[in-house]
Amino acid sequence: MTALRPTEFAAMLAALTRHRGVLGSLVADAAQGIVVDASLQHGVAGDAVAALAASLYRKARLSAGAAGLGAVSFLRLEGELGNICVMGAGDLVLVTIAESRTNVGLLRAEMRRAAAALA
Amino acid sequence: MSDHARNSVPDQIRRLSDELARDPSSLAFIALGDALRHARHLELALKIAQRGVERHAESAAAHDLIGRVSLDRDDLLRALEAWTTAERLSPGHPGARRGMGYVLFRLGRLDEAAACLAEAARTGDADAAAALARVRALLGVSAHANADVPMIELEESEADHALGPPPANPLDRERARRLFAEALGDGNHTALLLDANGLVVAGAYVTEDGTDVGSEIGGELRGVRDEAERMSRYLELGSWKSVVFETDVATVAMAPMGEEDLLLVASDQSTPLGLVRRVTERCADRARRWLAEVA
Repeated sequence: MTALRPTEFAAMLAALTRHRGVLGSLVADAAQGIVVDASLQHGVAGDAVAALAASLYRKARLSAGAAGLGAVSFLRLEGELGNICVMGAGDLVLVTIAESRTNVGLLRAEMRRAAAALA
Repeated sequence: MSDHARNSVPDQIRRLSDELARDPSSLAFIALGDALRHARHLELALKIAQRGVERHAESAAAHDLIGRVSLDRDDLLRALEAWTTAERLSPGHPGARRGMGYVLFRLGRLDEAAACLAEAARTGDADAAAALARVRALLGVSAHANADVPMIELEESEADHALGPPPANPLDRERARRLFAEALGDGNHTALLLDANGLVVAGAYVTEDGTDVGSEIGGELRGVRDEAERMSRYLELGSWKSVVFETDVATVAMAPMGEEDLLLVASDQSTPLGLVRRVTERCADRARRWLAEVA
């Protein structure tokens, strides 16, 4: 695993990344898509994940705004081989990259708890 | 006879270009943009209009010009956005109301189009009144429905050009609008099928106050499919199957349909995620069959 300079998010990110099938987790600036801290397995491009996930999250927020649906709390992109999960936490987003075998329900609950501590 | 009528269009464009060059902050860009538009130099007209809006961001007339040029370029969403801005800057702006009416007509939202055109017609706008008569004819409503709206004979006018061809047969439109009714069942769900430009192909998204916000949502979601594909490709996730997001009051699921379309299903926040998934699959089946039928 690789890790950036430890921050107050390090322990929480490490705990998420220990989940079965999770390849990495990171905290990013929601507006800019810039990584704040990350815990990633080797080969996972944290910068790209943060930028793409924050961009998709922003689009979801705009469409939710257009429909009067309120704030977006959780977003999941499901691919054939894996998932990207994004949880909003104020001006930050918590992102996890997970294989398709991951129990997303459990991961979502863990992310919700972690995001509550972030906000 | 006006100067506009006396001068040829190239002369008029040259004169207005000179005027704008002498004083780049002048509002001559509006007349120049329209002259270019009438001469079918639409890309140049758009550039002039954009520069004008950069200098005069608070001018409703400048946004109105962007709306006219965008409509001529068949960029309906951009036109609607421009006229919405013009209306916000100058509530009741007749050009904005008329323009919104044109776009809503082209989107097949005839009731809303009629409402916008009626407001513009009340200000004495003859083009809006002519367009309103045409919309009402399609709706099967008497041209006299509102006594305060002047009655205009249907004749060739700029409105006919702006309105373009009538939308699909009203029965087809209604069928498309209600496409997902059976698949959605009795639960608190709604579904939309959007094309690559975010335009509503089928379904509806009606808010609690009865407003159909399908077009607005479609506009915001324009490009989301490309983004999901890019993300899946870059992160080697294989083909993307769905994007689901949860908000304070709803769960929204999106899935790719065919080569370019996007299916969106929204459910009440209390709906379990697994049920949202099942409803989305049912709607996807329905959309696939329908797309095959109309192809």
